[in-house]
Amino acid sequence: MNALRRLGASLLAPVIAVVVAMIITSLVISLSGSSAGDFWSVIFSRPVDRAIVNIVNQTSLIYISALAAAIGFRMNLFNIGVEGQYTLASYAAATLAGAALFPGLLNVVLPLLLAVLVGAIWAGIAGLLKVTRGVSEVISTIMLNAIAITLVGYLLNKYGVHVGNGVRSTVIPESSRLDGWTFFEASDGPVWTLATLALLLGVGFWVLLNKTRFGFDLRATGMSQSAAVASGVNVNKMVVVSMLLSGAIAGLIWMPSFFGAAHSYGTAFQAGLGFTGIAVALLGRNQPVGIIFGAVLFAFLNEQSNRLTLETDISVNVVQITQGTIVLAVVVAYEVVRRYRTKLEQRTVAEELAGQRQPAPSERATT
Amino acid sequence: MSATATSDAVLLQGIAKRFPGVIANHDVDITIRSGTVHALIGENGAGKSTLMKILYGVQKPDEGTITVDGQTVTFGSPTDAIARGIGMVFQHFMLADNLTVLENVVLGAEKLHGIGEKARSAVEQISTTYGFGLDPDALVEDLGVGDRQRVEILKVLYRGARIIILDEPTAVLVPQEVESLFDNLRVLKAEGHTILFISHKLDEVLDIADDITVMRRGTTVGEAKPDSITKHELAELMVGSELPSPETEESTVTDEVQLSLENVTVADARGRRLCAEVTFTIHRGEVLGIAGVEGNGQAELVETIIGMRKVATGRIRLGSEDMTAWGTRARREAGIGYIPEDRQRHGLLLDSPLWENRILGHQTQPPSVKGPWIDRAGAGSDTERIVKEYDVRTPSIETVARALSGGNQQKLIVGREMSGQPVLLIASHPTRGVDVGAQAAIWGYIKDARRDGLAVLLISADLDELIGLSDRIEVILRGRLVGEFDPQSVTPQDLGAAMTGANEATA
Amino acid sequence: MRRSTKIAAVLAAAILALAGCAKEETTDSSDSGGAGLDCDSASGDGPKVGLAYDVGGQGDNSFNDAAAAGMAKAVDELGATCTEGEAQDDEPESAREDRLRQMADGGYNPIVAVGFAYSESVNAVAPDYPETSFAVVDGFDPDEEPNDNVAYLGFAENEGSYLVGVAAALKTETDHIGFVGGVNNDLIQKFEAGYVAGAEAVNPDITVDVKYIEESDLSGFGDPAGGKAAATGMYDNGADVVYHAAGASGSGVFDAAVDAGEGTWAIGVDSDQYLTASAEQKPHILTSMLKRVDTATFDMVSSVADGEPLTSYQTYDLAHDGVGYSTSGGFIDDITDEIDEYAEKIKSGEIKVPTAP
Repeated sequence: MNALRRLGASLLAPVIAVVVAMIITSLVISLSGSSAGDFWSVIFSRPVDRAIVNIVNQTSLIYISALAAAIGFRMNLFNIGVEGQYTLASYAAATLAGAALFPGLLNVVLPLLLAVLVGAIWAGIAGLLKVTRGVSEVISTIMLNAIAITLVGYLLNKYGVHVGNGVRSTVIPESSRLDGWTFFEASDGPVWTLATLALLLGVGFWVLLNKTRFGFDLRATGMSQSAAVASGVNVNKMVVVSMLLSGAIAGLIWMPSFFGAAHSYGTAFQAGLGFTGIAVALLGRNQPVGIIFGAVLFAFLNEQSNRLTLETDISVNVVQITQGTIVLAVVVAYEVVRRYRTKLEQRTVAEELAGQRQPAPSERATT
Repeated sequence: MSATATSDAVLLQGIAKRFPGVIANHDVDITIRSGTVHALIGENGAGKSTLMKILYGVQKPDEGTITVDGQTVTFGSPTDAIARGIGMVFQHFMLADNLTVLENVVLGAEKLHGIGEKARSAVEQISTTYGFGLDPDALVEDLGVGDRQRVEILKVLYRGARIIILDEPTAVLVPQEVESLFDNLRVLKAEGHTILFISHKLDEVLDIADDITVMRRGTTVGEAKPDSITKHELAELMVGSELPSPETEESTVTDEVQLSLENVTVADARGRRLCAEVTFTIHRGEVLGIAGVEGNGQAELVETIIGMRKVATGRIRLGSEDMTAWGTRARREAGIGYIPEDRQRHGLLLDSPLWENRILGHQTQPPSVKGPWIDRAGAGSDTERIVKEYDVRTPSIETVARALSGGNQQKLIVGREMSGQPVLLIASHPTRGVDVGAQAAIWGYIKDARRDGLAVLLISADLDELIGLSDRIEVILRGRLVGEFDPQSVTPQDLGAAMTGANEATA
Repeated sequence: MRRSTKIAAVLAAAILALAGCAKEETTDSSDSGGAGLDCDSASGDGPKVGLAYDVGGQGDNSFNDAAAAGMAKAVDELGATCTEGEAQDDEPESAREDRLRQMADGGYNPIVAVGFAYSESVNAVAPDYPETSFAVVDGFDPDEEPNDNVAYLGFAENEGSYLVGVAAALKTETDHIGFVGGVNNDLIQKFEAGYVAGAEAVNPDITVDVKYIEESDLSGFGDPAGGKAAATGMYDNGADVVYHAAGASGSGVFDAAVDAGEGTWAIGVDSDQYLTASAEQKPHILTSMLKRVDTATFDMVSSVADGEPLTSYQTYDLAHDGVGYSTSGGFIDDITDEIDEYAEKIKSGEIKVPTAP
């Protein structure tokens, strides 16, 4: 009963947020002279088989990205540098895998480890700067994003394979490709093998945070740094370690797509996932289960929006308004619900204790 | 008495205020005569603060009427209250340290006399009239606690208040400062102001008040005149039962040193010394009390011993081991329990359930963990034990800490820090803000543990508590230990003099 | 502390979301009359064309609009009908493929993809639709297997750039000119190479400053502030003509010319940018290098209407009127003869214009 009420309360916020976002989006569309009905009928139409495959694949990428952001958030670290971390890591892994120095599966595993390592190092720089020089991780990771993206561009131009007007890393050998499982027609494409990484990381994230001492220290630091310090947590060490972890996860973001479809780093590289992850982490309240819903929602909206310009006169970018308002509304709604729950809980405590306590004396004494 | 009043300044009738699950006030009736000092007394949690917030317009009453100078009023905000001539001085000062007295007073009230010469002369005039002796150009950060309080009162007067609410004004003062505050209050009264004085220190109340109203469990339970009631009667009225006392029994001090500090100096980032050459020892079974006006280095001293601050020079030993270089975790693992001064900031994860709060500070020790894993079952059953043994009032150990009352939060912390047989307990204001029952219980736990050989470092602003519990008292002033006292023979007045440096030849 | 982090995060997320919307403002169909393509009202019995735009879509004052203009012509002259799709920032490869498949499934033929970013996706989709003709503007075949239903519409940007390089060298009074590229990739380097070669053909001792706004990030094509910073540096350094190949960042280059004052010039790119420039900028726009995406688009539709769809690499060079220069504003009327002489030599093969710097 109590658990049910809690579940209801935690679902309340996202539901309110989605409804508010729908209203605002509809208003924006109507104001620009188009039909909001068209928009929603496209968005809510059943995705075709191919779209379902794409949604699953995209969900896995967004989910990993959101986990990377969430691990920082849980510690009150704002790792805005996920974008740069996975860009650099993806390039490094693609280059190593393209070089085909190792046979078969080893040529998958080692590049994955390299991606983890590069992502961790790049994020670790920001962590070290914070604890040694007091540089805000927000500033340093933004800078590191710019550096990573420029660096990758430079390296790609210099060492990449130039084809037509494009440039990319060497395509990986057939033996290193992990296409995945085809559930529908071949032309609908496969669900990538490494999409399962998202699942593994999600479970790992939950276990780490909720079941281990390290996770306890991390959460304690996020909830109250002062209390964590007093309890014996070495906050500096935690900052560096969680940045390393965040970056390590970030390094894996694009890997399912790389080994599943792109096979090289070039025009097929999907930029921007690092920022999507931040929004989805907020949406999912930095909880591994919550983030699943956020990732599915964003992947779903992105995929469905692709049909907008074909079937309506509404720009695909309207979906970004929807996504933006969902995130804003959800954060506001969470705060409202949180206060409501606190009151609820305090009332429950008071009610239950009233039963134990002797009746309050109401006598009035006068001298 | 110089009361010139013929009418009532404030009349509160049938005031009730309910928060979800809590009745903060009900059936409150108070009559405050104009031109008097009216004391409102009651234990923590008796509803005094809520009532004053209602009178000052911060909260709206659910029932009842407020009458000011014969007119019924409703206040939407403090602004309305100020317009009616009601001002409030909060327990925690709201002053900008880096501004001058004049700037602090004028801040937010620029419309009254501008910010120039007119404002200055107004401030000077108030200061002179009431004998405050404040220099308008002095920086607030250079002022002592007593002067700061006078600045707060000046702020209220500057805004035209005729009825002044003082929320526990003496809590932060030493006895000598209390005397001079009372002098100021008498002048204010003579000038026709009405003062509502909130306190739970009975001696002071009997000293200054013209009328006394007692509150208990959210309502007014009695009224008295200071000349017709004894301190004891007043206390019983306030507590509703026999007053507990922290009297200690026979000494349990051993000759085994548990904690020793040798010439410990602590500095802040700018090199300013917060504690200087502090040397003391605590034996097993001994309670060492540290007395001092807040802000004289006792908080920093505690944080240094628990390892949250680094020692600049000097040595700290636990038993025979030098722990100067240890981190907080190592110190906790070595058996140091820590009851922090600010339990919400340093002692609890407010949004976590109680069993997780049981783990906090003991992350590396059974029963909370098994290797690198959290032992939920172990932490849970030990939390159940604490809840039972320490009488923490909670529906379950899944309840979040925030939902508990302050006293129950504190009992949980005390229970936690007493777990695992600590060798040293650092107790910073262990009973601040808890109700009488919990206070007596906490005193009991400390005494029991002391009997079993626990060494205790006790910091408290409550001199009765210090005298009652300690085997020895050291006084700290500007970061230095300036005198040792025997609680058997010392009086609060002696301590107060040492705490303010009044007995120093140079002061 | 905790609250403030949260707020910062929300703000950042909101800004990210709204940044996308801000760009959207300019593509609102109401103010994008430039290309004048309205697929909804096209009702002829000519080819059914799917037009897949790059980021920005119709209304970008650049090559998306050029493609739309070619399409509009096809609607008028060939009775073609059409549907439009538009890319989003940072969209996955699958979204591009999806867009093309939806068009192919909808029976559209040909399908014209605007921008080389579609190269991979067309390569993936085309084999599944052998009856449908595809075209990729600026595109290329990324693998070894040729597709016999895909046309790659390439342009000799180096030749057009050569001509505006000649114009710049003839007009400069300081013998010092500049080039601002949006992103340092092979395509934009082609512009640079032709421009420098043309300028040096006139004056071997000329100084050419070269700067790219971004190394690889495509945001270099949408960064007017970056364009302005780059061009201002060149004008301050003594250059008096600056050519840009930086898409929407070019407006910043024009602004820099306005700020640099009388006697400084900027050269536009892709379309005749004098026509879309502000009144303030117009006196500074010497000429524009024309890249006739409209011609290529029209040709593609027309070839399908004729039953002989274009396939494989199609090069729109000077000889085929695929590139050129504009004369709006009349600032180069005095030197068109000289420029045209160079043009003839390029057409005849006497001059070989390099494609890389």
